Amino acid sequence: MPKHAVRLVLLLVIFGALAVAARYFLVDKSYYKYGYYRGDAVMEIAQDKPRYQGTAYCESCHSDKVSEWSKSVHNNPDAGKVVKCEVCHGPAGSRDPQQHYMHAATGRVHPDDLKMAIPTDTQALCKLCHEQTAGRPSQQRQIVVKDHAGALQCTLCHNPHSPGTFVGSLAAPEHRGDAEAGKGKIATCLDCHGANGISAGLPGPTLAGQNQTYLIATLTEYKTGKRNDPMMAPIAAAMSDADIKDIAAYFSSLKCKSAANTAEQTAAAHEAGASVCVNCHGANGSSADRGWPNLVGQSKDYIVGTLKAYAGGQRPNTAMNALAKGMNDADVEKLAAYYAGYSCK
Amino acid sequence: MDELKMNEKEQIETCQSSRRAVLGYLGSAIAGSVAMIATGAMLPKAAHAAEAAPPVPALPGYDWSKHRWAFGVDATKCIGCLRCVEACKAENEVAGDAHHFRTWVERYVTLEGEEHARIDSQADPVNIAASGSEKEYRFANRYAGEKVEKAFFVPKLCNQCTHPACVQVCPVGATFKTADGIVVIDHTYCIGCEYCVQACPYGARFFNEEQGVSDKCTWCYHRITKGLQPACVEVCPVGARVFGDRNDKQSPISQFLANNRVQVLKPESGNAPNVFYVGIDKEVI
Repeated sequence: MPKHAVRLVLLLVIFGALAVAARYFLVDKSYYKYGYYRGDAVMEIAQDKPRYQGTAYCESCHSDKVSEWSKSVHNNPDAGKVVKCEVCHGPAGSRDPQQHYMHAATGRVHPDDLKMAIPTDTQALCKLCHEQTAGRPSQQRQIVVKDHAGALQCTLCHNPHSPGTFVGSLAAPEHRGDAEAGKGKIATCLDCHGANGISAGLPGPTLAGQNQTYLIATLTEYKTGKRNDPMMAPIAAAMSDADIKDIAAYFSSLKCKSAANTAEQTAAAHEAGASVCVNCHGANGSSADRGWPNLVGQSKDYIVGTLKAYAGGQRPNTAMNALAKGMNDADVEKLAAYYAGYSCK
Repeated sequence: MDELKMNEKEQIETCQSSRRAVLGYLGSAIAGSVAMIATGAMLPKAAHAAEAAPPVPALPGYDWSKHRWAFGVDATKCIGCLRCVEACKAENEVAGDAHHFRTWVERYVTLEGEEHARIDSQADPVNIAASGSEKEYRFANRYAGEKVEKAFFVPKLCNQCTHPACVQVCPVGATFKTADGIVVIDHTYCIGCEYCVQACPYGARFFNEEQGVSDKCTWCYHRITKGLQPACVEVCPVGARVFGDRNDKQSPISQFLANNRVQVLKPESGNAPNVFYVGIDKEVI
């Protein structure tokens, strides 16, 4: 064989050997383990620590909140709607900071060195799902925020863990009073609340047609001292629980009396923000008996006085204090005129 | 004359002998190359040799040969709250800006009298302005005053295709499909050439300029191999995202596929996607 050919073959053999050696040392040992890729990469990707922990994890400490939530409209698996804890509160876990894209199997989980955020701007949060927006399917409950609550926070009225439950909402009393028995126990009331419970310019509000739940709650508050009034406190203190229920039953059975609103009054009231009032006090001034008072039949002066007492904080109520503070005198006048003018059922 | 003939004859013989030698060398060279190619081909073959029981990564409590993951999206349920997009970024530590998303949500709005839908996503400047931050996302109520004829949201993510074009084009074997059907990226092998970003017909891949590697949705491979759901499915409040194992006939995805008429995006691309959609228009691609 000629010399130059021998050299060529030798060179080829050396190159081949170098290639095999380079391949042996440079290609990862796990490269062909499962396919044409580095097999160890699968383990590295899969070992990352999950950050979202799930509702069961939250329940181990916050069982009260989770149980409140589990009975609420935000946990309705039948309708496919489940708003888990971490949807609003964010992930309960973190991953140890490594060089970016280096996977980490370790990290912290709340409460271990990891604080959870409690959303403060609940309107911004709730609007993400519930603001009326083009594209949201019709089965999703949506609101036009400015008509529903203005700039108020949602949690002012809604329990954040059970949004279908309202702050200030009361369960209807289990045992209703006896209206006939109540009729005999109201002699003292009529001086201030008027004959037949209709207060025409008298110091007390109209009681005729007021809902029972609210009357019972209010009398009980006077009796226990939770709500203070020099006139009502001693009167309510003398009543038994049965008296309170009977009296409430009697007044709620009476018919209130008022004039119908004119179209101008209605328009003015809506401009003043009556659309917020109807959420609790009902579209026609009659609430759904959940502990919020009916406004229908009240005198204008009484409603004005009450709203001012709420605005000034003399009468404490979380929702009403915030709402009344946002109203100017003109709004108060318009709203009071509107509700005073609603016709009774 | 004779002398001349002799010379010619000699010349021809010499030529013939050298031609024979050259052919001989050529033959042995070809034989050698074939042998080398055969040896080379034997290397990956070795991995496939034990075809009876292919090796399985030693993940605790997880055998990838027993799962066939798939994903369903019911666009008729999506409310566009974008909790999935934020959860994905948190879970996977995706850059907190309006340009890098492993999953995203598109909105298709057809106004009265218009032929085509107007399309935006959470990354649209109007929607970023509405959220006030590039790290938080919300759809601006930008069509509130318009007469909307039709509108819907479409969540999108990696389709984990059965025949992924992105894997086909990777020059270094940095992206691959696992046996349980997820296309993942080995970030230590990725050279950042972005061929895969170009090859994906769905725009599901993006490039991380900071690290010089491509990135994509993995259906939260680190979660599903631990028996959890992907983060986007975990936080979806309306069940618009469905995930599960097609090998389990009772899994949510098997039920979803059995009970719905589904479609995939761009079936003509030949990638055979594994995200199945319900309730989308032909405008959604």
